[in-house]
Amino acid sequence: MLRKIGMLGAAVAALVLAGCGGTNSPTATVATSTQRGTLVVNPALRVASVNAADFAAQLNATASGPQLLQLAGTPACGVDFYYIRYMTVGPDNSAQPATAALMVPTGAAAPCTGPRPVVLYAHGTTTDRNYNIANISDTTNSANSESALIAAVFAAQGYIVVAPNFLGYDSSTLGYHPYVNGAENAIVMMDALTAARTALLSTFTPTTSDSGKLYVTGYSAGGYAAMATVKAMQAAGVAVTASAPASGPYALEAFCDAIFFGQVNIGSTEFAPLVTTSYQHAYGNVYSQTSDVYSSTYASGIDTLLPNVTPIDTLFSSGKLPQTALFNSTTPTSATGIPQVDGAADQLLAKPASPPYSAEQATLFGLGFGSPYLINDSFRVAYVDDAVINGDQAEMTLIGGGTLNSGTVALAATSMVGLRKDLALNDMRAGGWSPQEPMLMCGGDQDPIVFFQNAQIMAALWTPYVSAGLVSVLDLNGAPQANSPFAPLQVALQQEEAQLAAAQGVAAVASFHAAEAPFCMVAARGFFAQVP
Amino acid sequence: MQKKIVTLALSALALAASAAHADEGGANTVRLGMYFVHFDAKADNITGPYAPPGLNIHANNVETLYVAYVRTLSTHFNVELAFGYPPLTKTEGRGPAKLGSVPYNGQVISTARWFSPSLVVNYVFGSANSRLRPYVGVGVNYTKFLARQSTALGNAASGGPTSIALPSSVGPTATAGLAYELADRWHLYASYSIAQVNSKLTANTAGIIRTSEIHFWPNTLVISAGYSF
Repeated sequence: MLRKIGMLGAAVAALVLAGCGGTNSPTATVATSTQRGTLVVNPALRVASVNAADFAAQLNATASGPQLLQLAGTPACGVDFYYIRYMTVGPDNSAQPATAALMVPTGAAAPCTGPRPVVLYAHGTTTDRNYNIANISDTTNSANSESALIAAVFAAQGYIVVAPNFLGYDSSTLGYHPYVNGAENAIVMMDALTAARTALLSTFTPTTSDSGKLYVTGYSAGGYAAMATVKAMQAAGVAVTASAPASGPYALEAFCDAIFFGQVNIGSTEFAPLVTTSYQHAYGNVYSQTSDVYSSTYASGIDTLLPNVTPIDTLFSSGKLPQTALFNSTTPTSATGIPQVDGAADQLLAKPASPPYSAEQATLFGLGFGSPYLINDSFRVAYVDDAVINGDQAEMTLIGGGTLNSGTVALAATSMVGLRKDLALNDMRAGGWSPQEPMLMCGGDQDPIVFFQNAQIMAALWTPYVSAGLVSVLDLNGAPQANSPFAPLQVALQQEEAQLAAAQGVAAVASFHAAEAPFCMVAARGFFAQVP
Repeated sequence: MQKKIVTLALSALALAASAAHADEGGANTVRLGMYFVHFDAKADNITGPYAPPGLNIHANNVETLYVAYVRTLSTHFNVELAFGYPPLTKTEGRGPAKLGSVPYNGQVISTARWFSPSLVVNYVFGSANSRLRPYVGVGVNYTKFLARQSTALGNAASGGPTSIALPSSVGPTATAGLAYELADRWHLYASYSIAQVNSKLTANTAGIIRTSEIHFWPNTLVISAGYSF
């Protein structure tokens, strides 16, 4: 009898277990392919979902949100934020996992559903290794404000947004960031777009689809990456509807020459390690050892310093980097033995003074000189000597007070300094290309971080296209033109910068670059709307 | 810990068995009834990427069919193997009213069935011919979570299709009850039991892992009828 009971118990237990049905919920599929543009995890993780009203309310609850809403407009759509993991390649053509944000407009309103245009956005310089532009839900993430900006300007107004984090950030396993490496940045952008298009098919709102219209934009280093992406897409035969690179260092060689000539930009001590590390990995010709470029105070470990999980202010305060002193305040002199070269170089190596610079410029540039300093004297002298002997026409034109035009903006014909060669290679003037679809270059000529000369040089190079209306330049600090659709943005930006200057004095200039970002993005949106 | 509990339970069973051998008892009883389960669950806040602070969960109470086989070992000892039909337990979100614009607090975000047999050695008070006999028991509970599902609302809150892992648990259980003889071979039972169930919830959404340590103390009221043979 006991045996029968035991069997009955086992049968009941089996019945009970069988009655439980399935075992678990389904989850995402994980691709094993390392092919470029592969979406690794599908569907992608939705990090956050906000409807239009909640998004507006959340922005209004932040310090800068009300102003952003005023500029960007009340959200017409909600936004779903997705975190995309995809495959791309590094500068050495190795397969690299990368991540990106995909922002999808939501809601029943007409501009929020169905086929929607795509904005491919490149973020600006960051020293934060953990930068993740998809992480809108974490206000402590340094990408949060940039994420909110592009969501408010584009996604909440009906654009699908794709924004890669770039290699070297977030969960990328690459130990550095290929900073201002044009070809590499473009690959990462294009692969993010490919993966995002796959991800779009499996979102919470699968009826929202890619209309086929593609707009490319970005700010600061992202403005550079955006222009590099347009260049690469054109070369690959990929249609770009329009583009709006903003405040980017497009004319890298001329820009870096200006800095080595003493026009030191704000942020230069952060940019320098990012650039040299990037190009050393890509081309191996920047230095044999870091002390070839960097002063003994900072040379050790500089090649792995940025990006870093340690906040940049901590790196400054702990002596890992000088805050502003790019060059030695006791300026060196040239010793080529060629009088014309030494004479010209010594003038350029001297600390900028007023005149010829304005008092404000001299003060600003002067911040780049101090002790301890980042770049060693011998490297600065070698660079400046090379720039004198193998001049960048555009920079020499600007230094000489000349006028930029298509005949005065050529890159240096050659260079003896590895870094300068690399800058020329990645300079957007290289390659004999020009935009085939409308392009707006937005920026401000009071920008102390990325000088507006970058846009001016490109515009000069592309003079025939500017004349034909294909390429436009918007100087937010310029005089508003009565018939310009961008005049209200110019007026508003100039009012804001005037208020900053009144409150902070000359120090306010340092914030102009960041202040101009939302204005340029809104200008970009307006520009895109004109190119449907 | 689990090994100690199992060892303790087996020791108690051996003691009872030795007592049974001495007493030559031996009726078999099958009981059927209802479990009324109150989950006194305490979970740590959910942690992991993209999980805002303050996210927690709550398990709803359930009722389910109770089935038990009891082997009388002696006048005062019996051993009870009890389990319920695996009840569908609903888990609600606790914390922010909304995650972005997705409702969270109070929403059923996941469901699971759990097969939770207990092996208990009971000491029964009173004489063999008493109509009303109280009893107390201790034993071991094994809980296996089945058919774990994230609901559509859970998927929306988590950010996509989500799989849930809840490892099985072994823990102590204790019971106290009353047996009332209705008629020859027939009894009514009422008992109250408590068990300890520890598990770690692991949610996988698009490869993003979020976790929460969960400690259940299921308080169970059982009303049942039994037939002895």
